[in-house]
Amino acid sequence: MTRIWVFAQRDLRRMAADRRALVVNLALPLVLTAVMGLSFGGGVFGKKGLSAIPVAIVAEDVPEALKTRLLDGLEKSGFFAPVWADSLTADTMVRSGKVAAALVLPPDPLTAFFQADSLIIQVWRDPSSEIKAGIVEEIVGRGVLRVQAGEAAFRALWPEDYMTIGADSLGMGDLLEGNVADIWTRLRDPGQTAARERAADFLVRQFDHQVALQRALQGTAVGLAVSDKIPTGEDKQGESSLFDYFLPSFAVFFLMFAVAAGARDLHRERARRTLQRQLLGPGPAWPIVLGKWVASVVQGIVMLTVLLGAGALLFRVNLGPDPWTLPLVILLTCTAAAGFFLALALLVKREKVLDNLCTAVILISGMVGGNFMPVDNLPPWAAGAGHYVFNYWANLAFSRVIGDNGSLSSIATPMTVLACASVALLVVILTLFNARVKRGGWA
Amino acid sequence: MIEVRDLVKKYGSHRAVDGVSFSVARGELFGLLGPNGAGKTTTIGVLSTLLRADGGQVRIGGHDVATAAKDVRRLIGVVPQEIALYTDLSAHDNLMFWGRLHGLGGAALTRRVGDLLAMADLADAARRKVETFSGGMQRRLNLVAGLIHEPEVLFLDEPTVGIDAQARTRILELIAQLGRQGLTVIYTTHYLEEAEQLCDRIGVIDRGRLVALGDKESLISQIGDADMIRLSLPAARHEAFRAASATWEGCTGVGERRGKLEVRTPDGGRLLPVIQDWLRANDLPLEQLEIERPNLETLYLNLTGRGLREDAS
Repeated sequence: MTRIWVFAQRDLRRMAADRRALVVNLALPLVLTAVMGLSFGGGVFGKKGLSAIPVAIVAEDVPEALKTRLLDGLEKSGFFAPVWADSLTADTMVRSGKVAAALVLPPDPLTAFFQADSLIIQVWRDPSSEIKAGIVEEIVGRGVLRVQAGEAAFRALWPEDYMTIGADSLGMGDLLEGNVADIWTRLRDPGQTAARERAADFLVRQFDHQVALQRALQGTAVGLAVSDKIPTGEDKQGESSLFDYFLPSFAVFFLMFAVAAGARDLHRERARRTLQRQLLGPGPAWPIVLGKWVASVVQGIVMLTVLLGAGALLFRVNLGPDPWTLPLVILLTCTAAAGFFLALALLVKREKVLDNLCTAVILISGMVGGNFMPVDNLPPWAAGAGHYVFNYWANLAFSRVIGDNGSLSSIATPMTVLACASVALLVVILTLFNARVKRGGWA
Repeated sequence: MIEVRDLVKKYGSHRAVDGVSFSVARGELFGLLGPNGAGKTTTIGVLSTLLRADGGQVRIGGHDVATAAKDVRRLIGVVPQEIALYTDLSAHDNLMFWGRLHGLGGAALTRRVGDLLAMADLADAARRKVETFSGGMQRRLNLVAGLIHEPEVLFLDEPTVGIDAQARTRILELIAQLGRQGLTVIYTTHYLEEAEQLCDRIGVIDRGRLVALGDKESLISQIGDADMIRLSLPAARHEAFRAASATWEGCTGVGERRGKLEVRTPDGGRLLPVIQDWLRANDLPLEQLEIERPNLETLYLNLTGRGLREDAS
């Protein structure tokens, strides 16, 4: 173990001393990912698109027919995935992040609306789901605004009717009944004083419409109240943004380059004859290659941790539901990546060939493994091929943890695949290296 | 200390080392002299356990390199021809790494690293990255890195390649110092003067074969103590020159190489006026004339028909 760490420590020192590599492996991926993420506005993406914003609806004492219609309307809008809930359940759902927002109507909202009592619709937002909750707030706000405009128009045209439902509001009717001659006769008839007064009142009211309309727009009976619910942190389901997708997939993509460079170093050491010098040391040869593997894994862990940590700090990227799931994904991704590229290095005799091969492999596996776009968007043959590259499983695990806030149980399959691949590749590396040492292939 | 018997190493059908045998005593400084491609590095590769021999036997300190490689590695240090160092690390970090590789640690390693840096005149540059070093400094560090674990046998594979005369002198001094300390050294080179200056015994290797072996004096005596006079004449007059030389006292033979006549004589100083008289009498201009005393270069030329600076291939 000490010997392995001697080799690993040496490589880590060299990596730390290489400022160019630090820029390429850390700063560049972060900047590039940030540019990409910000370019797309950090919006929701892919399967978790606009059609799937989960919303809880709280509406007690609403007729069943209206409930059904409201639910259908929301679903068919394509923007929401609504669920009915009582007030307490909705509160819990918002705080736990299961829904982005809750739309809360007051008890018996129809009576409140039609009897002109104050009707306040509430939107409870999950503050960590800023984008989705914002969309809900905006759409509901627009709906309320339309109701307010209609109400304002109604009040402007029939202010007395609006204010005194059921009272005589048709005084002009008596006066205006009949043809034009009849109307004129009535207006001139001294006995029609009451009708004339009512007509005058009517006209006055018409003049008041403008004033009434202005007042209506200043204060409406139907309103919208928005409030944020503090997340409980339990069973929190974070929001999946484009950045949540891009950051880990780009990080894995750049990880492949970094780890491939580590594998290429085996050939550089051979050319510089430092490898042969190590082989002349006491003890077995396998700790040399295992040390290189450990160094690559540590380098990968640092790289992914810095990138995801920076993503969390700067762009509020979700780091998963607990402190151990994401680190485990990072660890297994790095062990598999380091194993894969070292195995590749041991299968190739010359560094130049390895250089070209690594570039090709990274680009192809990046494509079919979902580093550039979600695998679901690829043709079936490419998506199928993706299952044979380690980065597909790494991307899958990252997207479930970061995108869906999935726990360890939700990533059991990709974790198992990555763990098995890591072990198998490690065996391959040690076997190939020792075989080459025995036949003097490194001399 | 080192016994090499009928060593063979093949690459495909090519025999890079072809039946080489020699032995090196404890504390001896042994030179392996030959041009590029002669098989020196391959021989070192087998002796240092990096390459498997295809035939013959090599024993170092009583251990067979084929069956007891681990024991052999404890005894040997190797300084490869290339700068086998991490140029992106400091001299100190390099030596610390090579020391830890050999199981050293703690104060003993720190002390050893300090001693070696001082020995290589690099104490002041210990914390500088090796990539900032001059060629000579890198060579010196490369050399002392092979000594970190205090080996009993040191293989030096052309340790002065590509450096200036001053740096080379410093390296040679360092090696001579190691020799005086009793270290057994096998030193490969294609620089004749280095082998002559440093080595107790020299093996001359050509195309994988050891063509001569012994100390400097015994090797030179193989070609006699004849001087060689080289001169350039028009090709048409070569036959006339040969005919005349047969009558000259002290001339033991005339050869021809690369368009030049080569006259062998026990005393070049006495024959030279005779040659000059013949040239004047025949109205021939003296274009080029030189006298060469017997040395390893002459020996090598005699043995291989080529110069040491020419590739074996």
